[in-house]
Amino acid sequence: MSAQESGERAIMTTCCSHCGGACGLKVYVKDGVITRIETDDADEPQARACLKGRAYRQRVYHPGRLLHPLKRVGERGEGKFERISWDEALDTVAGEIRRVRDTYGPQAILLKMSVGDMNFLHTGAMVADKLLCMAGGYSSTWGYFSYEGGTFAELTTYGTLSTQSSRHDFPNSRMIIMWGWNPASTVQDTNTTWFLAQAREAGCRIVSVDPRHTDSTATFAHQWIPIRPGTDTAMMLAMAHVMIQDGLQDQAFLDRYTYGFDRFKAYVTGEEDGVPKTPQWAEPITGVAAPVIENLAREYAITKPAALIAGIGPGRSARGEQYHRAAITLSAMTGNIGIPGGSAAQRSWPAGLLPFPFMMMGIPEMLQNPWEAQQPAAKDMLPLRRFWPWGMGGVHVAQMADALLEGRSGGYPADYKLLYIASTSYPNQYLNVNKHVRAMKSPSLEFIVMHEQFMTPGAKLADIVLPCSTFLERNDIAQWSSTWFYGFQNKVIEPLGESKSQLEICRELAKRLDILHYFDQTEEEALRAMVDGCADISDFDEFRTKGLHKMHPDQPHVAFREQIEDPENNPFPTPSGKIEIYSQSIEQMDNPELPPIPKYLPNWEDLNDPLAAKYPLQLITTHFKGRAHSQFHKVPWIEELMPQTALINASDAGARGIRDGDPVRVFNERGQMIIPAKVSERMMPGVVDVPQGAWFDPDENGVDRGGCANVLTNDAYSPGGACATNTALVEVEKAR
Amino acid sequence: MQLGFFFDQTRCTGCYACVVACKDWHDVPAGPASWQRVVTIERGKFPDVFVAYLATSCYHCENPACVAACPVSAITKREQDGIVVVDGDKCQGRDNCDLCLQACPYNAPQFGAEPNARMQKCDLCLDRLAQGKQPICVAACPTRALDAGPIDELRAKYGGRTEAEGFAYSANLRPAVVFKAKMAEQAEVTA
Repeated sequence: MSAQESGERAIMTTCCSHCGGACGLKVYVKDGVITRIETDDADEPQARACLKGRAYRQRVYHPGRLLHPLKRVGERGEGKFERISWDEALDTVAGEIRRVRDTYGPQAILLKMSVGDMNFLHTGAMVADKLLCMAGGYSSTWGYFSYEGGTFAELTTYGTLSTQSSRHDFPNSRMIIMWGWNPASTVQDTNTTWFLAQAREAGCRIVSVDPRHTDSTATFAHQWIPIRPGTDTAMMLAMAHVMIQDGLQDQAFLDRYTYGFDRFKAYVTGEEDGVPKTPQWAEPITGVAAPVIENLAREYAITKPAALIAGIGPGRSARGEQYHRAAITLSAMTGNIGIPGGSAAQRSWPAGLLPFPFMMMGIPEMLQNPWEAQQPAAKDMLPLRRFWPWGMGGVHVAQMADALLEGRSGGYPADYKLLYIASTSYPNQYLNVNKHVRAMKSPSLEFIVMHEQFMTPGAKLADIVLPCSTFLERNDIAQWSSTWFYGFQNKVIEPLGESKSQLEICRELAKRLDILHYFDQTEEEALRAMVDGCADISDFDEFRTKGLHKMHPDQPHVAFREQIEDPENNPFPTPSGKIEIYSQSIEQMDNPELPPIPKYLPNWEDLNDPLAAKYPLQLITTHFKGRAHSQFHKVPWIEELMPQTALINASDAGARGIRDGDPVRVFNERGQMIIPAKVSERMMPGVVDVPQGAWFDPDENGVDRGGCANVLTNDAYSPGGACATNTALVEVEKAR
Repeated sequence: MQLGFFFDQTRCTGCYACVVACKDWHDVPAGPASWQRVVTIERGKFPDVFVAYLATSCYHCENPACVAACPVSAITKREQDGIVVVDGDKCQGRDNCDLCLQACPYNAPQFGAEPNARMQKCDLCLDRLAQGKQPICVAACPTRALDAGPIDELRAKYGGRTEAEGFAYSANLRPAVVFKAKMAEQAEVTA
């Protein structure tokens, strides 16, 4: 039966789940209910959705969807709530904002927002920021949770975060190194795997460097090089040593476009510290045999163009910025920056360009936060970092629990009394979750409000929970920075229950806070104004009907093409105008933990840590292909394919009497969980993977039964600001 | 005419988009029935491991064993396109009979979790074919690893290979499928 015969109507819209894609969804609706979903079937390249988008019907109609505002009636975390009216919920939240602001000052309000929904109008991060800025200001955290190591490296080395070439440049590469990068699971731009497949079929050689034999490795890589977590920089330095020793570096490129290579060379050769960073030096550190390092170095040096893609996972480590800076240095040494098929050692996550399309779409710049604009920059932060998004806060995101607990007595800028959470699964997705739970349960935190779609671990700890609609329940526009299309997110169904969009929630709060002109347009007026301000789209109505506006550029975007083709007129925005292998901005920070050239420095919680005697396994907390961070938890079609497990090598499992599927206790000083083991040869011995995003679910003894990776992670950050989600020691034992 | 599938095993990342798309389109709940499946094949010892994925549903055999096995003629092969279809009303239910499942080497017959579940399986998206659309799994694949159509045309377009990792061709049943296979001997191992 055709759709028309069955009374179904198909509406084209764009997925939105914070995975770096904005894939097409053709949603069928009958009598106001979604019946099924297709993906983009228009002109190629079609923006085909992954399993998450395909399962969205089950997420929208999940029995766990929050349909009414809720007020806590039990203790925080107990999960006892009663349904209240929107008026009561909004009056309470507005009243608490007003009370806390007037009693303690705006700094006592801590807004934790992130980008759990990515679009231009309703996204929670923007609307809550605007609300609280107009209400007098608030405190925030600094640092991108996902890729601050990359951010530090790019700002200090290139002077900008716009380092990404578009994905459809891959087929121009003759070699791709996937360094800790698994786009088969992470997506990170629609069609990333499709372009990788095309590259491979065009003869591109692909090498994967990763502790785990990922799905991307299995499908695309000609060679897998397993590497011990946290040691990537050592291997990269050894590759640099091979190139220097053999004279394979592109010296003309280095002379013309870079600054300070000689200082780096002196360190690599051992001239600086007496330790030549040879493959033999790197072998016991990395677990990679010296000849393998030598071969990769030579291959990468002589195969041109070659793209080193620096996954952001290895950058979420105790020395994440050194890894990203070393990767950029290798890209410069091989002369692969600014050319088609090359790569500026681009950080895998595409969101570095985000401020650009936001402004392009006619959105006014984010308001200045009246509180934070008057505060000094965070004391240990790269000074120029302040001028990029998530750079204003006085507290690093890794320290948020500590700041909530300690306040000014702990040296933080304020005593926090009100926690406002929007578009982020706080605290599930934050390091050392047990500490955050303690902070949220502390009576010094007088009020917690959370925007949520589900009763998440954080919502259970909130005082008021405001139910949010999904992207299928309002109109918006979406775009990912290095994709070649805009998506119109058509409203497909009415909001479920009493749920509202986050913009509507904040608009209602603004009225109650006597804020004038918070948002005076209708939804349609705002979206039309964005399209009017967007040179790429001429016809709003056509855009809305088609759902996807594809641009079909003649050539892929190549990062830094102008700087390389015409350096005189296009200097890099760095002090020297060049790619700073020796960074003068780092030199000015005068921090011995942040050398101006990339170095391999001692880690904490690695195998040399005395703690390793007790907790001998290195933990990594990878992205899970069935989830976008914590979203899509317990969606039945996905969960039946991929249960949450701890991935462990067969030899480590055997030594502990663990068989595939056995419940195991994964633990360290910070917490413990019991989940099934997945015993595999696809994981490096000595390493265990608990994929991040599963929901924290403590039993009566505080043992997490949900498998939330952050039970085990350390709430410390690297000197450059990276959240070290992949630096932690654990032990695994068969659960009794 | 005989319709069939093409599967490029070298492109499949095991992403399950086809599996979920199929469940959504045909409204098959989470549970044991899955018309489209992805099988993971893993061999070897760290670090020399070989991994392949096999996306598999029903190969609409030219000489289908399930049709021959069914005692009540609930399974038939359509003359016009060779698609093997099942009439759930005629099926006696799994509590009484699973001869089709026993007969099929490809695990195509599927049964839900309900009592005396009737057999269900891939029908190559008859409803979509009637509208000139590709089957939902083909249209879903992010790496364009699947195709469907007249098997003669698929053979002409992709070659006639009938072997793939995790698949054994039955000369007797003649499954309507061709592959671009990912074989272990082609993979370079490492480290």
